[in-house]
Amino acid sequence: MLTARLEQEAVPTIYLAGEMDLDCADLLRETVEGAADGAEQVVLDFADVTFIDSSGTGIFVRLCLDLQVSGTGLRARHIPPVVADVFEMLKVQALVGEETFLD
Amino acid sequence: MTGRPTPRLAEVIPLDTEGSRRPPTFKVLRYHEESGELEVVVGGGDRFALTPAELVKLARDALAERTFVAHAVPDDGVELCFVPHDDHCDILCIHADMRRRHHGDHRRSLMEILNDLAAAVACGRLRFLTPAQLKTELERGSVVLSRPVTDSATLAVARADVADALAELGFSPERREETILCLSEAATNALIHGGGHGTLTLVDLEGRARLLVADSGPGLDFINWRESGGSAQASMGYGYHIILDHIDDVCLSTSPTGTTLILDQHPRRPEVMSAC
Repeated sequence: MLTARLEQEAVPTIYLAGEMDLDCADLLRETVEGAADGAEQVVLDFADVTFIDSSGTGIFVRLCLDLQVSGTGLRARHIPPVVADVFEMLKVQALVGEETFLD
Repeated sequence: MTGRPTPRLAEVIPLDTEGSRRPPTFKVLRYHEESGELEVVVGGGDRFALTPAELVKLARDALAERTFVAHAVPDDGVELCFVPHDDHCDILCIHADMRRRHHGDHRRSLMEILNDLAAAVACGRLRFLTPAQLKTELERGSVVLSRPVTDSATLAVARADVADALAELGFSPERREETILCLSEAATNALIHGGGHGTLTLVDLEGRARLLVADSGPGLDFINWRESGGSAQASMGYGYHIILDHIDDVCLSTSPTGTTLILDQHPRRPEVMSAC
């Protein structure tokens, strides 16, 4: 199960924790769209994500692409190895642009 | 060698803008060399583009040359792959509406997914099982645990329980991680395409682990494959790609009454990977 906590920092930042699979779409979209209201950027912090599969990755990619269209940049940081492995496998950087990743 | 269509890649097949809207289909036939019989392993009996006699001739050619051969039949939007084994030749028939080959976004097209399956069969990493072969496989090993998978919550429980059990079976942390990822992909397929309900079983095969993911869905004939890809369902179509890349041996049995995927995995990565 995934939890998402929004902190209104200099840039709205969403702290993700838990597992990202087929069921995280609604939570992630609602939280990100709430944070993106008028913001140039929204940051997703992946530090406490313990698992991701292609469904969770697909949801992240779709959100990135949708927000790009609406003028908000979705950024990702603190990608743990368990997530980085899957992102690399699925060539996520090429899909969403390397500027998406802050570190 | 006479009269054989020239092998071609899917990408060079001309775009058929007037093609039918018939749903894509995936079928597997098996030609048994000794008896000369053609057996249906996956899917129904029509839309093979060629006559049985033509299929048998091409299967014999593939067996004689011990070579994987792919043919495209552009007018029918069909690809045929002939995969020779010791005493039989699997014939994979992929039929797709040309206009649906690519989504135009980040998702993989059905054609790419099907070609992954064909390539994996050619490499020997994927075997299609007949119902009789499946029955034999289901009798092997001793069951360690079994869990229903009906939604994300039960899938998470299954992942956690299998991860613990794989540790007991001597799986290294990285091997465990990639195996759990594949389990998640297989179970997600069962949830999305297999009728929304699956069963996961872990079997100890003495020396390696076997994961069985079974559903009672309409079968992997792709007739009911969801390609609409709304925002709620953001699958990228990489499930089988990931599984075939990370599991030592994969077996698939599929029929209109359900699909069973068998993933056999050694506790440690093989030191020498196959060329495929």
